[in-house]
Amino acid sequence: MLEAVRSYKLLWIPVVFIILGMMQPISAYYMPEILRMSGDVPPGMLELYEMPGAGEVMAKSIGQYGTVGLLVLALSAMNSFAGEREGGAAELVLARPLTPFAAASAKWLAQLTLLALSLGLGAAFAGYYTIRLIGSLSWSAVLAASALYGLWLMCAVSLTLLFSACLRAPAAAFLSLAAAAGLALLHSLLPRPLNWSPAALPQLSAQALTQQTAAPAVWIFPVLSGIALIVLCFLGASLSFGRNKLPRF
Amino acid sequence: MKTIDLSLLWPLFALQGLLAVIGLVSLVRARSVRGPKWMWAIIILLGNLLGSLAYFTIGRKE
Repeated sequence: MLEAVRSYKLLWIPVVFIILGMMQPISAYYMPEILRMSGDVPPGMLELYEMPGAGEVMAKSIGQYGTVGLLVLALSAMNSFAGEREGGAAELVLARPLTPFAAASAKWLAQLTLLALSLGLGAAFAGYYTIRLIGSLSWSAVLAASALYGLWLMCAVSLTLLFSACLRAPAAAFLSLAAAAGLALLHSLLPRPLNWSPAALPQLSAQALTQQTAAPAVWIFPVLSGIALIVLCFLGASLSFGRNKLPRF
Repeated sequence: MKTIDLSLLWPLFALQGLLAVIGLVSLVRARSVRGPKWMWAIIILLGNLLGSLAYFTIGRKE
């Protein structure tokens, strides 16, 4: 946690999330002006532009966190174990009367705090701007959508923590992003047989905003499998940190 | 044509400015960064969101 304050992470990551969240509604609102300023737009094109619905814009803002946000989170979490090990602080931590489980849970909680703070603030700003500029939106839908999306992001962050415990930092960030992308790709290729996987969460999050009714039964399996993935990663990370093997590559 | 409402946009600029300030403060206080410091200062000042993001993610040494 102290590491997060010292490296300014607790400051800059929420600010980046807020900016990302604000930009989507603002650019949707000013799209005709942006197109006009960018030059040659055939006449009649601008009349075709339709303001997207509030739910759609909000879903897109949250979707921003799946790309840039995920990259930022993975790059910031990759050092949590690997940085300590390479800097030599891991021996200090392990020499104290502290179980690896406690050390891992402290790191995990620090990441969770960072994610919840960033996503909460970002979604609140995005929601405020969407309501001001585009149209009304129920805050409970925003909350449900960001909670679902947050669970997916936490899966990715937990994967980064797991890889960070057993690999070098850049490899950890790369592998966890690849794993998250692979899960998402698999889900988009086989949506029906894989509708229980955590990769279904971003889609469910968007549906919570664009459709008024969403059956809780659809949510249960992705949510449960997401939580299971997080727990598995966490246990794996604490086991691997406890052994504190030297990184292999 | 809609007039651009500045009261909507200033928070965005303020946040970008804040991000640049945080980046510059951390740059000045850092003992060493990847590459020359003046290069990162230019990137942070001119690169808006992406410049600061690049500095925080790849420029800093932990």
